[in-house]
Amino acid sequence: MKENTTLAVTSLSEVLSFPEVKTALQEFLGEDLLSLEEYTRVSKAQDCVPLGDLWIEVPRSRFMEVVEFLGTLDFPHFHVISGNDEGEKVMLSYHFSLYRAAGFETQIGVSVKVRLSKDMLSMPSLWPMIPGVEYSEREILELYGVDFVGLENKNLVFLPEDWDRSVFPKRRDETGLKPEHIRKLS
Amino acid sequence: MATEKGTTYTIPIGPVHVGLKEPITAWLNVDGERIVDATIRPGAIHRGIELMAQKRNPIQVIYLAERICGICSFSHITAFVEAVEKVAKIEVPRRAQYIRSMVLELERIHSHILWAGVACYTIGFDSAFHLGMELREKVMDTLEAFTGNRVNYGVGTIGGVRRDFTSKTAKAIRELIVYYREHFHVFTDPVYDDPIVAARMRDVGVLTADDAVRYVALGPTVRGSGLRTDIRCAQPYEAYADFDVKPVVPQDYFGEARGDVFDRFVVRTMEVLQSLEILEMILEGIPEGDLVWEPKIPKLLSYLKNVEGQGMSCIEAPRGDDTHAIYLTKGEENITSWSVRAPTYSNAVSWPVMFRNQELADAPLIINSVDPCISCMERIMVTDSARGVEKVVEKRTLTELCREKTRRMMQG
Repeated sequence: MKENTTLAVTSLSEVLSFPEVKTALQEFLGEDLLSLEEYTRVSKAQDCVPLGDLWIEVPRSRFMEVVEFLGTLDFPHFHVISGNDEGEKVMLSYHFSLYRAAGFETQIGVSVKVRLSKDMLSMPSLWPMIPGVEYSEREILELYGVDFVGLENKNLVFLPEDWDRSVFPKRRDETGLKPEHIRKLS
Repeated sequence: MATEKGTTYTIPIGPVHVGLKEPITAWLNVDGERIVDATIRPGAIHRGIELMAQKRNPIQVIYLAERICGICSFSHITAFVEAVEKVAKIEVPRRAQYIRSMVLELERIHSHILWAGVACYTIGFDSAFHLGMELREKVMDTLEAFTGNRVNYGVGTIGGVRRDFTSKTAKAIRELIVYYREHFHVFTDPVYDDPIVAARMRDVGVLTADDAVRYVALGPTVRGSGLRTDIRCAQPYEAYADFDVKPVVPQDYFGEARGDVFDRFVVRTMEVLQSLEILEMILEGIPEGDLVWEPKIPKLLSYLKNVEGQGMSCIEAPRGDDTHAIYLTKGEENITSWSVRAPTYSNAVSWPVMFRNQELADAPLIINSVDPCISCMERIMVTDSARGVEKVVEKRTLTELCREKTRRMMQG
């Protein structure tokens, strides 16, 4: 994987507004944009231009392209990966934001959702591009059992060293927590 | 990594104090006094708070969120309730937004002064440390006067706040502003001007702007590297859009940003003064109005039970941005899934970069420079891998090592 060197925070050529980012993503993804939701509020500085967060869902195959596409706008600031076991599938949301250092009311949150079926829990790792994702990917690996291809360090982050790695605490199926794993303090 | 057998030592810093939200162990590879590489292992005490939340309703989770951290307790609940408000499309009254912003700024003053004092303590500048601790009492007293508590304030709720702003609070905050304007520089000016402080903090634990972006550094850590990143400005939440918050960066005060511990000190101390300005604007601009969107808790809970969706919120906590993501399912009383990303989670990723080529005696200072967790270093084990000898170095010894370096400099 090529190293992402577009550190646009220091060399931003233009700052797109919320509707522009939305349209750009719609055009880029076309039919692969499985869902799009927005949480907006009206900006104070620029009347009527909404600000806020975008939530998009993409198929796993397009995920890396989306991140690279966001990278052409601005170096995507990575917040965290959140997950949810939905029964048949595990849903991961990568929370990014754009234009953090571009001035007043410029930041746009972009959360990219990917649904993985339980017989193929694997994602390409963002670690070579954004080294700051390391803990989040390791956390999702240990809590949901999603493998990250390309992540160098796959050791446990939060669970104890002697943890049985076939148990994934945040899964709601047979691999999830059993009563004996929970220590009651009172 | 080890270059030659017998020339590097592995030194784990940690495991940690029970009371901390993010217990972290740092394994340092040292060649003599120089740190070659570092590996971070968090999670000595993972409490599973996110899992506990799955058995609780959103109102109950507020109290769980408040206990994630002792210092930025209000930041965590603000991030959490904002995420819920975004999913449920709850509009928070303006007055409540002002009160939330006020508590957030008081908390920032508290956190930054505590940190600045502890940073001075770490390098053995005890007189500055005591001054810092004395200064901190004022903001603790003000918070206590408003909320009744010094640590977990219990003020926030979904859709608003639980305690009203009175003329008494306004008086206490005016006193606080006057007090800090008069006394804060007595603490900071000697620190800025001290040549020993400059020698200990300048060019120590450097994080370049480029690395700060790639390693996702946050808050004062990234601003110390010279980037104008502040969510209060870039994506204002609560009442911050009214205050015109400008990110505090060291180049505005000292001409350049080197991304070292000194710059992080400058950012935090200058942000205290910025918070005083914001508090002044809050006192002037606080509107009349309701405190909560829905005062009846059972009604609010039954409304939240019918909400389906996901919400994400990030706010500028004292140590960096705090992100909460939440999933709610229609018909479920409890939270489906909740993810908390506290600032240290991200800031700790850049520790290995900051440690590289630094001296062992600077390790406490570097760890301290992203997060005020000095008690992380309760116990240190030094392993001589060549000879297989282990000895336990107490926190006191390491602090002594750090102070010894200051003394050497003062004599030299």
